[in-house]
Amino acid sequence: MTSEAVPRARAARPAGRVNEPRPALVEARFGGEPTHVNRQAVALVREEWRVVDRWWTEEPVSRRYFDVVLESGQNAVVFHDDERGRWFTQKA
Amino acid sequence: MIACLNIPGFPLRAALEARPSLALRPAALAPVEGEEPLIGAVTAAAEAAGVRPGMRLGEALATCPSLVLVEQDPARAEQAWEEILRRLEDVGFAVEPAEPGCVYFETSGIERLYGGLERALQRALAAVGTAWDARVGAATRRFAALAAASVARPGQALVVSDERADEFLAPLPLGLVPLEPSRQQELRELGVRRLGELAGLPGAAVAERLGPDGRRAWSLARGGGKRRPRGRRPPAELVEALGFPEAIDNELTLRRALGALVETLLARPERAGRFARKLALTARLVGGGSWRRTVTLRDPTVEPARLRAALGPKLAELPAPVVELRLELVELTESTGRQLELVRPEGSELVERLHDGLRQVRAATGTGSVCTVVEVAPWSRIPEARALLVPRDE
Repeated sequence: MTSEAVPRARAARPAGRVNEPRPALVEARFGGEPTHVNRQAVALVREEWRVVDRWWTEEPVSRRYFDVVLESGQNAVVFHDDERGRWFTQKA
Repeated sequence: MIACLNIPGFPLRAALEARPSLALRPAALAPVEGEEPLIGAVTAAAEAAGVRPGMRLGEALATCPSLVLVEQDPARAEQAWEEILRRLEDVGFAVEPAEPGCVYFETSGIERLYGGLERALQRALAAVGTAWDARVGAATRRFAALAAASVARPGQALVVSDERADEFLAPLPLGLVPLEPSRQQELRELGVRRLGELAGLPGAAVAERLGPDGRRAWSLARGGGKRRPRGRRPPAELVEALGFPEAIDNELTLRRALGALVETLLARPERAGRFARKLALTARLVGGGSWRRTVTLRDPTVEPARLRAALGPKLAELPAPVVELRLELVELTESTGRQLELVRPEGSELVERLHDGLRQVRAATGTGSVCTVVEVAPWSRIPEARALLVPRDE
């Protein structure tokens, strides 16, 4: 009997998330604006916004996003996770 | 339960099959030619003399001057590993090999056949045989099963229940998690020497300090994921070999020999009209070692010229003269032919080519490597909640 002839029972496999935040090394001013992202100086902060969501769950989301241009000319979006007290990068 | 069957130092054990007298002497697997001079697995006698796997060759020889270097023999290792996998499949386990010497399988479907988990695991060990010193671990999580198999004694089956998993993992050494030596050293300097100490750290801090690899190691130290093993599709058993009366290093002769092997292999009736998708070219070298390269074709084919063109350039990589050349059809297409249509629906050719491409990627990189992006909440303000990556195997 060949393996093709016997339908195998499929085990459940986990799905992954797209655009998962990645930890970033960010230095910020007292007011919270980033000055360095992954050891590159920030040339310009283009935009800033807040995301507060899921506050009714056990995993609330409270983030302060910054769309920045680095000195190398590269664009980057970083956010400060107020819940975890850490910085991350993410494609917004 | 997920079970992990482990044979430590498998490539060395396989290479020593030809020279069994060395098994009791200080011996180590020689470094791979053209790569950093680091030794591979070592025998117990070499370990007792202070030699460790991954040591620099010079340091290992200085530590133990009587150390014997054993040539890598990937062909023999591949063959021995395939035999072990088939023996496990023969007794009913749907195996998912991780690397030579380490295989995962699900026990839940077969426990009742052998009268319980312990007996099923003993059956797996018996199928492998005592010569390999195999050990097996079982747990609800993959990494815990691997850790259990790593600490079990030869011939032992170690079962770790879900409730005891954290307690079991905590005192184990940090070396069990796949982390670069420099990162392991960094953690040791920070006073983190055990899995429990790593698991106790905040995940975000570990990720910030050690990056994604560190985060993965941290997650494993906490038990890791629960992904169930998936049974492999057994490789096709179509092999042709050509032995030479004397060692050959002339590329032209080798190319002619390859041409003859391709023709003979394609003429085998067991191929049943199916196309070749993945092939392996193996050579037995004059020094006693072996060499192996696998090729996944972009388009499955049975055209001898295309197969020769795909495999021929690999012959230039041979490190030594050859005494035997062997060609293996590792994977064949499922269909035996294609029914042509008079008028094909628009776009069907593109879809077919896309599916074919995806099958090629799967054949080259293994199951779970092709995923589909599924939008679940495109309106969400949280970017990572908008879509999921779902593994797609068909």
